[in-house]
Amino acid sequence: MTHAPVLKVENLQTRFKSVQRGKYVHAVDDVSIELYPGEIVGLVGESGCGKSTLGRTIVGLEKASSGRVLLDGVDLSALSGAALRDSRRALQYVFQDPYSCLNDRQTVGEAIDEALIIDGTKSPDERNRRTRELLDQVGLAYAVKDRHTRELSGGQRQRVAIARSLAVNPRVLICDEPVSALDLSIRAQVMNLFLRLQKDLSVACLFIAHDLALVRQAASRVYVMYLGRIVEQGPSQELYDHPSHPYSQMLLASVPEVDPRVEKLRSGPLLMGEVPSPTNPPSGCRFRTRCPLAVDDCARRTPPSHGLAPDHNAACVFAPDLHGGKRSALVHQPA
Amino acid sequence: MHNEPLLSVNNLTVDLLTSKSAVRPVDGVSYSVRQGECLAIVGESGSGKTVMNFAPLGLMPTGVTTNLSGSVRFEGQELIGLSEPEIRRFRGKSIGFIFQDPMSALNPVRRIGRQIAEMAELHLNMSPRAAEARALDLVKLVGISDPSARLRQFPHELSGGLRQRTVIAIALAGEPKLLIADEPTTALDVTVQAQILRLLKDLQQRLNMAMVLITHDMGVVAGAADNIVVMYAARAAERGPVDKVLVNPRHPYTQGLINAIPRREDPIGSEFRGLPGVPPTLGAPINGCAFAPRCELAVAACTRSRPPMAPAVDSKVSVACPVVNQGKAAA
Repeated sequence: MTHAPVLKVENLQTRFKSVQRGKYVHAVDDVSIELYPGEIVGLVGESGCGKSTLGRTIVGLEKASSGRVLLDGVDLSALSGAALRDSRRALQYVFQDPYSCLNDRQTVGEAIDEALIIDGTKSPDERNRRTRELLDQVGLAYAVKDRHTRELSGGQRQRVAIARSLAVNPRVLICDEPVSALDLSIRAQVMNLFLRLQKDLSVACLFIAHDLALVRQAASRVYVMYLGRIVEQGPSQELYDHPSHPYSQMLLASVPEVDPRVEKLRSGPLLMGEVPSPTNPPSGCRFRTRCPLAVDDCARRTPPSHGLAPDHNAACVFAPDLHGGKRSALVHQPA
Repeated sequence: MHNEPLLSVNNLTVDLLTSKSAVRPVDGVSYSVRQGECLAIVGESGSGKTVMNFAPLGLMPTGVTTNLSGSVRFEGQELIGLSEPEIRRFRGKSIGFIFQDPMSALNPVRRIGRQIAEMAELHLNMSPRAAEARALDLVKLVGISDPSARLRQFPHELSGGLRQRTVIAIALAGEPKLLIADEPTTALDVTVQAQILRLLKDLQQRLNMAMVLITHDMGVVAGAADNIVVMYAARAAERGPVDKVLVNPRHPYTQGLINAIPRREDPIGSEFRGLPGVPPTLGAPINGCAFAPRCELAVAACTRSRPPMAPAVDSKVSVACPVVNQGKAAA
């Protein structure tokens, strides 16, 4: 792996005007992440935590209020016109719903052709050759190109959507819940496609998902997001084995077990309530309103990020204790 | 103990006819649910799990002709063949429903208190005042904080979890004996899903209701259900107690589904296990086993005739697979 990140997000902030006059929705607040070439990185959190907004801001679907997005070291906000369009092409987005992201009236060939034309491939023969190559890469037969996208199953449509985003030779794919709309038996096929693309094309992939087990297996590193901020980050194995933010601990513990013998033994406290409104986020640590370990200090200041292991950080005052197993958010606290 | 199951479904077949096409989304499925029991019906989209539960109660889209055959007995009363007004006496009263998407299940322009009270007025003949009081009790029962203020709110003011709790309160308003929950946690986060599942399990035990939990997620089954029916392409593939079927799945499809769930021991970056191929599209009934084209164990006999549901070695579990059942005979 090279040591220059292909995508670097620095202190990114995305705010939306609230319906309440003079107030703002702080959807993404001071987030910094890095993606290296050929790496799958997970981004997990509950809905409303800002993970999709972060992805959309990176590709330019939302406007950043402050902070920078650097692609190969070039600040995208400093670019405009043709230079910006060229850079953006390297950043592609795979949407969650394979039914609404394709035009029903287009054939598969037309849908892919459109992307190739935008990319500047003029010769029809060349476009045909690329279409064949792209369909092959995503595991579809060439004959599919004459079918309308509406005739395809969910899994096939998601493959077409992926082929379309690959048509412009991206360096980074932002995948927003790309398999959550697919059936379980099809999900593995599409996940394996992502693993293969990462190996064969060394595309870096930011994998936004709420399925924690899926992310663990696919991603080498994981970011945990809560109410607009990254609360913990680390290599997957390390983070899943030693979650060191109370939120990560409770999030991981809420995944149900398939084996009834194990499930019946589960009795930890549940993470109660839901993500508070990002219009009025809690002061200090944003998780404190739901945290079983919260102390007065948590309301006063934003907890510093503690380095716990190589590349493993958590923003909680108790992170070293939680990492070392001296404290846990999962045992019932004395009242 | 209760001898007669509360709900018993026998050889239920549903045919849907539109002006253009005829499909059979449910093909000869049998199961039963006793009082105080929870049955999970698991299957992928298009496997017929929702139609199977909704069609006998008249909950089908308009413009579709629904033909039912077989038998659905609820408290000893046959539901198939009842007229719409007769079915309406059950629907929402002794049989409550929870739908997948809590936003579209609620009326966006009416306060939630009214929506809950309306059910009590309709099904329990309560006065508006008594119904309001009952709505308050129900909102407390489903664990909504600050209940009296919540009753005056509109659905859009509530979070996804609170909306689903409201839908549950509405379902409970008619004092149902059977609760049919169609993907009740699919639209929710994993943390809220855990809360809602715990609430449903708790209510079901406290009110001694029967529950049918329709889901595509094997993960939610273990914690909530006693028994399970696994559906594949309109038919039941395997049926039995959860602690047997999930621990020792017999049908190759059930095995594949459980095997496809990522596990903690799987190395990072390793291939995901899955099933090859895609489920069949609904159309003409399939002669043999519908799963045969995707099955590793398939033999010639699988494509010739439809495998019957037969008891496995453990007679509490039934499997529709000739290979598995033949192996049992030889053993």
